[in-house]
Amino acid sequence: MRLFKLFTPVLLSIVLIFLDARFSYLDNFKRFTLTLLSPIYVIVDLPGHVIDWVNDKGTENELLVSQNDYLEGQLIELKAKLQTYNNLALENQKLSNLLESSYLIPDHNVKLARIKSITQSRLSKKIIINKGLNDNVTLSDLVIGSDGVVGQVTEVTPLYSTVKLLSDPTQHMPVKNSRTGIRGITKGLASNEKGMIIEFIPLESDIKIGDIFVTSGIGNSYPSGYFVGRVNSTDESLNSSFMRVSLEPTQNMNKLELVLIVKEKND
Amino acid sequence: MINQTQTLLLIKVTILAFIVGSVSLPNVLELVSPFWLLLFFIYWLIYSDSHGIYTAALILGLLLDVLQGAILGQNALALITSSAFILSVKKSFFVSNLTTQQVYVFFASLIYLILFLITHILVQGLQIEWLVIFVPFTGAILWPIVRFLLAKLKQ
Repeated sequence: MRLFKLFTPVLLSIVLIFLDARFSYLDNFKRFTLTLLSPIYVIVDLPGHVIDWVNDKGTENELLVSQNDYLEGQLIELKAKLQTYNNLALENQKLSNLLESSYLIPDHNVKLARIKSITQSRLSKKIIINKGLNDNVTLSDLVIGSDGVVGQVTEVTPLYSTVKLLSDPTQHMPVKNSRTGIRGITKGLASNEKGMIIEFIPLESDIKIGDIFVTSGIGNSYPSGYFVGRVNSTDESLNSSFMRVSLEPTQNMNKLELVLIVKEKND
Repeated sequence: MINQTQTLLLIKVTILAFIVGSVSLPNVLELVSPFWLLLFFIYWLIYSDSHGIYTAALILGLLLDVLQGAILGQNALALITSSAFILSVKKSFFVSNLTTQQVYVFFASLIYLILFLITHILVQGLQIEWLVIFVPFTGAILWPIVRFLLAKLKQ
């Protein structure tokens, strides 16, 4: 009888593991339960809120004015850079038209989100952000930082979303070399906090150390053109039919506080 | 069936375990931090009668899976099996000194870790940060503190 009592929940767990790993029947149940459990996140996040509130109250007017001046300066600088970008984009569009290409410059909506000090499973690389369904965040949205791609939204609750980082071993992203256009798919490395590799790139492809890979936009899962990583080594072993390319993410994940959630405008 | 006092204690230790387990730590500390829910559940288990324990372990394990974004059933399977081990040594555990209890907690954490890793490897491949092998040690080391704090909570 005691063995039966143990056997039933063990069997149920194994069935659930199989179902969750192979199918997506349980996704709605998980989302609903996570929504019910999200007050736990609110409690964990409370000390951070209090510290932010105290900091805000304690900030002097003079400091705010100087910060404002600095940010205005940054804004002007970025606007100037944007003008150059717009010119290049227009030029690109003209060339594309001349070539009768159907390429269109993507137009993206971005939403600012703050990373919360909440952790998830120890073997996966995920972060929680303070935007969710209430802010129109949806599954598979791309999340970027100031220097490049951070990851992809994998869970959404009304108040929070979970972002799986680029360096997670189960995260794959289609990319292309910004210099040569060679395409590949990245994969995170569990053993290396900052590492990613690109698999299945043919031997003797033109890839140099320092090349930048950007999102390719293939499959329309992600907007294209955002920085992903910089090549730090290539390995053309004789036993393999493919080149192994190691990438270092352009975005430093340890210094992140704010991120942008990117959506294509036609979404 | 579990009586009302035990249910209340279970709810308290579960909420506490979920909160403690969700606090963000530096990467290395996060990898070696103990299985909090297991430690808290062991405390509840040694003070409760033997009814409905596996069902409680299943439900709490599933809730933890959802909260941590893990594979559904991963923590549940590990928690049920570790609970079975603790139940088998429950009488001895209850009367043992702290050091012997730490040994039992070590083995319970080891069982939990092995099942947790087997599930992970079967589903996601051999992509593991090897620091996790220290988790049973940290669990055993922190057991006296957990026991002391939960005893205060129980009062």
